Parts: sequence; structure tokens; C-alpha cells
Amino acid sequence: MTDPYKVLNIPSTASDDEVKKAYRELARKYHPDNYHDNPLADLAQEKMKEINEAYELIQKQRKVSPGASGYANYGSYGSSASGNSVLQQVRLAINRGDITAAERLLASVSEHDAEWNFLMGFVASRRGWMDEAKRYFETAVSMEPNNPEYNAALDSMNRVGYRPSGFGSFGTANFDSASCLRICGTMACVNLLCGGGYYCLPCYF
Amino acid sequence: MFGYIRPSSDRLSAEERERFRSVYCGMCHTLGRRYSFFTRFLLNYDFTLLAILLSQPEAPECESCRCIVHPCKARQAVKSGQALNLAADRSMILFWWQLQDHIADHGFWKGLKYRLAALLYRRSYQKAKSLVPDFDETVQKHLLDLSQREKACCASIDEAAEPFAALMADIAQCVDDPIRRRILSQIFYHLGRWIYLVDAADDFTRDARNGSYNPLRYRYHLTSDRLDAQTKSLLAQTLDQSIRQMAGAYALWDYGTWTPILDSIFYESLYGIGKAVLEGRYHKPLRTKRLEKNNRFEVTV
Repeated sequence: MTDPYKVLNIPSTASDDEVKKAYRELARKYHPDNYHDNPLADLAQEKMKEINEAYELIQKQRKVSPGASGYANYGSYGSSASGNSVLQQVRLAINRGDITAAERLLASVSEHDAEWNFLMGFVASRRGWMDEAKRYFETAVSMEPNNPEYNAALDSMNRVGYRPSGFGSFGTANFDSASCLRICGTMACVNLLCGGGYYCLPCYF
Repeated sequence: MFGYIRPSSDRLSAEERERFRSVYCGMCHTLGRRYSFFTRFLLNYDFTLLAILLSQPEAPECESCRCIVHPCKARQAVKSGQALNLAADRSMILFWWQLQDHIADHGFWKGLKYRLAALLYRRSYQKAKSLVPDFDETVQKHLLDLSQREKACCASIDEAAEPFAALMADIAQCVDDPIRRRILSQIFYHLGRWIYLVDAADDFTRDARNGSYNPLRYRYHLTSDRLDAQTKSLLAQTLDQSIRQMAGAYALWDYGTWTPILDSIFYESLYGIGKAVLEGRYHKPLRTKRLEKNNRFEVTV
């Protein structure tokens, strides 16, 4: 196995507290909530497994009880939730990672109920169509306002996501422009020469 | 490409700012050496980011270079290598097809400057095409797709952004490691989507006055020539989602020496740039000011 300290990115001389801190930061970074709608969720799950194992191993070596580890709750998309057999197949296809098959099956369904909208939203988010995904999730929630699965999906669209400590939890709309972010333009040679790079040339698409 | 993306300089040490600049200078020299003097003018910041994402995690080898902009004081520039070459070839091909698009969209007099530029860059494009024929085909295919969607007045911003995002995602095909390829493909897809939407917001007023297609107008049913507050807020949310997808993918790979620069881009400056564009405050030539002290140029957003 790889060096557990390397996995947590700390020296082997780190104190117990430092180990815990490093573990918590990484667990926050690869938390399933950050990858709910990301097609790379499997890679994040693997990272999570790696850091959980590394943390447990260090705890074992140091003979400390592992405490609260195991954030790795990467659930599958509960195939039992569906009563409709086609939608059941869609969930299975999603769990296999076969988004194209899921899409094809969804297109064959004529009854567009809340679950269909939810699954359409999920497929859209996997393709990177975030605006469509949000609209489908909103429709699913408006059709069945008390369904926890649909609400969780819609909530995850509005989540801030992981930021390392020191970075604010702003978004585009509430970015603090009073702090006057200075965007690095250290070289700007060509841009200065011709007023912004593409202004000198007919390159503007 | 559009040249929107830069790190926020407040987050970076002097050494890291210098490293970012040395990639920019390296890209410029690579374009000059690989193609012609004129291709150096195609350079923009988005391709600097592309070169960084394609780079190895180790600190790059630099060389001392002089150029027409800095004839007296030599600058450190990253030596041409695989990442810079990859970014330079793709930059050349993208530029060429944008040019062709403009020629097709404009009449004789207005299109004259584009045709003259095409004459100037034809040889460079042919060289790039012979180096990366697959990418050349991909760009043609996606830009054709884009123009068809624009002609059909596509009302979905995701659908309208898809060809450019998919074109960007295809750049990741040049990476050998399958996991890294998947990660970069996801970053590039959302980078493309973000750039396309930010550009649509930036051009909104101009497009409305010219009667040109703009996806935001059809998606949000807008009739005026300005984006209203509600539209801006909805657009900001969808831009955030793309940045979050990029940041999630970015966290899965070790970028070594580039980490502070990329952290400042994916966790901060993209939000600031998006906000500045939505508020109509992002216009490079007006905002570039020279800082006397350290001879740096900064853009205040």
C-alpha cells in the first residue's frame, strides 16, 4: 500500500491533531455532496476510500481509536424507488454509468411524471447541461414537493461546493466586488500593443 | 477563444505571478517559432490556462528571451515543450475556423479584413492542420453544429453551448493517461460552457442592437437590449454550476507547482470575472492600468 502519510499529504512526524486536520480537509474536498451531479463521482469515491484507509492505518499504527472516519457514503441511485419498470431500468443504466442507454429509455416514456423529470434532470447534469438539469429537478419537486430524493437533487444544484480554507464561499452573483479582485494581467504585452489581444485582429467569436 | 480567464493576483506570490507570466511569454514564443511572427498576436489568456492544465506538475524549464515588446530587458519564458506545442497548435486551428466563420457571416466590404487576415494565416493553418488533423476535423464539425443551432435560434442555453463545450472537451483527447483525460475533459467541457455563456452575456447588448442571435434572449424571453436583474441572477447560478463542476474535477488531480495559480482561478477569479461581465465592468483595454512601482499591469474587476 502507498504511504498513508503521503496520501494525506503530511510528514510522518505530524501530530495526531495535524493528521486529523489533514484528513478532515481531504474528506471535505472529496465529500459525496460535492460530486452528486458530477460524472467523475467514481474517481472521487476512490480518493475518499484511499484517504479513509490511510487515516485508519495511521490511527492503527498509533494505536488511537479511529473515531469518526468513514465519510464515504457514495450511495447508488436507489433502484427500489421506482414503480415503473422502464424507469427502474433507467436507474440501473445510470448506476452502470451508461448515460446514453438511460437517455434512450427516458425518451421512450410517454408519461412525464415527477420521477421521469427527476431522472431526466440527472441525465442532463451528467452531460453537463446544468440549466436543463435544474429545470427538470424544479419540475419534479413542484409535482412531488415532499419527495426527499428530488429535493436533495435540487438542493445540490445550489450548493457552494468545496473551497480550500481561506477562500470565501461566494458565487458569481454575490462575489464581493468591494474587495476589488485584481485579476492578474502581469504580462499583457500583446494585449497592450493591440488593445486586448483580439481587438487588433478580426478574431471575435 | 476569448481571453477572459486569469488568476486573481492577490492570491499569488510574486514568484507565482512570474510563473504565470512565463507561461504566457512561453506560449507567445512557441507560436512565433512554430508558425510565424503574426501568429503571436493570436495569443490570449485562455490558452495560457490550457497550456498550464496540459503541463506536467514539475516546475517548467525556462529560458531568457527578448521580444518586440520587451527589447531591452530579457524575460523568463517557459521553454517550448509538449504542453505549449499542444496548446499552440489548437490555438492556431481554432483561430482559423473562427476567421472562416466571420468570412461566411459578413458581406464583401465588412468581410474584407477577415479575408486579408486569412491570407496572412493560411500557411500557418496548413501547418497546424498537418500536425493535428483530428482536431482540425473536430473543430469544423462542432463549429458547423454551432452555426446550425444559432440559425435555428436555439432556446436552450445548454444546447447552444454544447458544440463549443464539446470542442473544448475534445482537446483532452491528446492526453495519454485515461484518468487524467477524463478529468481534463470534464474541466474543458465546463470551461467551454462557461466561456460561451459569459461571452453571450458580454455581447448581449450588441447582439440585441444588431439583431444577431444570442442564446440568453431566447432562453429568458428577453425583449430589451439589456439583461435584467432576474436574468443575471439565473445566469449567475448556472455559471456557478459550471465552475463547481470544474473545481470538482480539478480537485481529483495533482497539478504540483501550478496548484496556487489554478486554485486562484477555480476557487475565486472565475466568479469575479463572471460578476464583472454580468455587471458590464469587464472591458480589458479600458481597465488596464500601469502600476508604476513594479512595472506590472493589472486589471481591476
